Amino acid sequence: MANQSGQIYGLTILSPILEGDTLDIAHATALRWYLASLPRDHTSPFAQVSSTHFARLVVMDDVVFVGAPAIEEHLKSRYLVFETNFDGDLDAYLARMAKEIPDFVDSVWKHCVGYPGVADPAAFVAYMKKCQIETTFFFADVNNQTVQQNLKALQLQSALSHFIGQNQGKPAAEIQKSFGVLMEHLAKAPAPLPGGRDSEKTAAEDRPYDR
Amino acid sequence: MNAVTPMKPWKTPILRVLFFVLGAIKPLQSGLKNLSFIHFARWVIIDRTQFPHLGPKQPQEKLQYDYLIFFSNFNGTWNQYIDAFSAVLSTGLDAIWVWSEKFPGSVPVTPFKGYINQVQFDTDYYYNAYPRAATNDVKAALRVQDAFTDFAQTSQTLSPAEFEKAYLEFLVRVQADLGSTGMAPVGT
Amino acid sequence: MIDSAKIDSAKIDSAKIDSAKTGSTKIDVSDIQGFALKGYNFPYARYLLLELSHVKGARDFIGQIVHYLTTGERWEEKPVSTVNIAFTFHGLAKLELPEPTLLSFPVEFQQGMKARGEILYDTGKNSSEHWEPVWRDNRVHIWLAVNAQTPAALEEQCALLLQIANQTGGAMLLQAQDAHAIFIDGKPTTKEHFGYTDGFGNPDFKGAERDCVPGQGKLTADGKWEALATGEFLLGYADESGELPVAPIPHLLARNGTFMVYRKMHQNVATFRSFLEEQGRLYPGGKEKLASKFVGRWRDGTPVELSPDRMDPALVADNDRNTNFTYGKDLNGLRCPVGAHIRRGNPRDAFGFNGELVNRRRIMRRGLTYGTYVPEGQPVRDEDEHGIIFMALNASLFRQFEFVQQQWIEYGNDLHQGNDKDLVIGNHGGRGKSVLQGTADPQNPPFLCANLPNFVELRGGDYFFMPSLTALQMIASGTVDPR
Repeated sequence: MANQSGQIYGLTILSPILEGDTLDIAHATALRWYLASLPRDHTSPFAQVSSTHFARLVVMDDVVFVGAPAIEEHLKSRYLVFETNFDGDLDAYLARMAKEIPDFVDSVWKHCVGYPGVADPAAFVAYMKKCQIETTFFFADVNNQTVQQNLKALQLQSALSHFIGQNQGKPAAEIQKSFGVLMEHLAKAPAPLPGGRDSEKTAAEDRPYDR
Repeated sequence: MNAVTPMKPWKTPILRVLFFVLGAIKPLQSGLKNLSFIHFARWVIIDRTQFPHLGPKQPQEKLQYDYLIFFSNFNGTWNQYIDAFSAVLSTGLDAIWVWSEKFPGSVPVTPFKGYINQVQFDTDYYYNAYPRAATNDVKAALRVQDAFTDFAQTSQTLSPAEFEKAYLEFLVRVQADLGSTGMAPVGT
Repeated sequence: MIDSAKIDSAKIDSAKIDSAKTGSTKIDVSDIQGFALKGYNFPYARYLLLELSHVKGARDFIGQIVHYLTTGERWEEKPVSTVNIAFTFHGLAKLELPEPTLLSFPVEFQQGMKARGEILYDTGKNSSEHWEPVWRDNRVHIWLAVNAQTPAALEEQCALLLQIANQTGGAMLLQAQDAHAIFIDGKPTTKEHFGYTDGFGNPDFKGAERDCVPGQGKLTADGKWEALATGEFLLGYADESGELPVAPIPHLLARNGTFMVYRKMHQNVATFRSFLEEQGRLYPGGKEKLASKFVGRWRDGTPVELSPDRMDPALVADNDRNTNFTYGKDLNGLRCPVGAHIRRGNPRDAFGFNGELVNRRRIMRRGLTYGTYVPEGQPVRDEDEHGIIFMALNASLFRQFEFVQQQWIEYGNDLHQGNDKDLVIGNHGGRGKSVLQGTADPQNPPFLCANLPNFVELRGGDYFFMPSLTALQMIASGTVDPR
């Protein structure tokens, strides 16, 4: 299945954007402004749909004219491109979007042709699938770990590095005891929030070992 | 990075076959894994009749070219990324993009960069679940986790002398994978 | 044409110009400044940093200096002193090169090193607000370098040059930066102030006069060493990617010229020595072995990759061996740590792909120490004036020096060391860390150094263009024509 690599699904959606003569602002413009204002860290809608590894939204105005002797041609509509890489099943992901981030979905796809809203999740899923383009070739470097698994591993790596530095040269019995404490601490620590904390000034709390 | 290039429709089936073959034989895949700065990448062929058409009010597209869209989520600066591709993946890249109109080849690098600049389009919104981790960091962290899990199993039941030895072996196992995460250098 | 179907992959490969197959590159050594072609290895130097005033005097000055310049011609007998010259962008502007020419210089050169601070990680302690005043206001227009065999020859040559400056009224001396080899037992050495023996591993390129030293060039498919393309170090010649490097117009101005970065690197000798003492006590292998792991060479110059357990003077003395190694069999850093200084500066084949990713990132180093050497064991302070005047030459500052500095020295992702910086020269700000890989032998364990301070601080510098003699004549006579 070309859309899948390991347990990662690569979804590509092209939604035609509404054109309208009766508006002050074109749909594409309003959409761009909305996207520019959205947070990208753990407060992002995609952090909420936490199976998302990477996602992007692009307003594609037109195709590119690469220069003579290629033919110049133009798209009749603009398209919203939604490219996302997430864990697991397509239907489940789309259902999560409808259920967990309905305001965001509305704010974006209300600018698109044929958008049925999220009140009826089945209709939303059907609509998105109508806009789906099959991925022809999908590359995923790490394709067998969920977002949470990656985040936990990164948390462990950071904590361990700090531990090693702190305990260098200490007597073995002491290190052994401290290592036991580390194990407990890591087992209990909640997975870090996806998306990071770059919107906040104080990133220090849950990443004390980062620069 | 996003790029869209036009292809003459008679060439599209050749590229589809090529991707199928690439997917099976995996030379490009291993090159990309060894370069280790792409998290995810995809190529999407959109047939000229396949642009989604969702209602009578939406005009039907009438296009002469098929389009190849490329998306990648990568680490490093744009220049570094293209330089590396040109240096070590040129044959694979050429095989994919040679079907696109006016592609100059991926070697030498300057005309290649010029073409990419032309066919690139900008992302309006980008989300990364682990923004301070490069692909290498993720892979390293997963290796560290495996090692930690293995070592943790017996760490508390060993005698101090046994622990000392096992801990040293554990350190050797993880020692190349302890780089700190953080913000990447600014693009240039 | 556009309709052509498949590009034969053989044609793509042959597009990579390989001048080794098309015959050796001839370069015009009498047109190229000697500083670009060879390390003079003279023990004394003075870098006269000059400001230009009015264009006529400036052009007169250049016109006269040209006659004293040292070229790349082979010496029958070593001269007592050499003279070389290079210009900042502001210097070229002062000389009233035509606007289109000025604007055709690479962006990073136009901006100058100070403006590139964010890119180079010249922030915090290394930011320009801590630089010497001479470097802070774009007043340095000319770097006029004298290298000499004796102090007397140095003084004589400098006096002569300054006399010309005065006579023509063209240039004013802002600062004379002295540099000299560290003398030990009365003999000049290639040591620097932290005690390391420096000066190995400068790149070999096609057309350079000296013999290829194994390990200095690029790796071939069958594991041999070959000289790099000339265009990596000189403008106007094909580079490693099969094209001519970006160069200013007109062609004659650029050809046989090159770009230079100059960085005055102050060394905090007291901090380094106490760090090494303290960590050396904790490290089972001892202080010297630890020091070797920081850099990738023991302090006597023995390469750690070839000899991880002891110094080897015979190896150091043998040019066929002292830089002849690869990291391909040591990808996990068990011998030479993955983040060691020389491994960061030149990763060789550590990234796989037979070293391809490194061939366009080489720099030619010409640095020299400055300040009084304080032998080990004697009291020393961080504030004392000592360090290295780091100078490196390359065809593209952006692609070579800036890349190495940004991606491999101040960052570690390509080396799989995440954000960790070079232990010795990184801009740590007190929070750096470095992991020195080891083995399961308790005498050679993995060792983590944390809370790293800045051992080295940047005190100033800039980017310079080092023109050919032809170009200098054009500059001096005001005949640069950008077409």
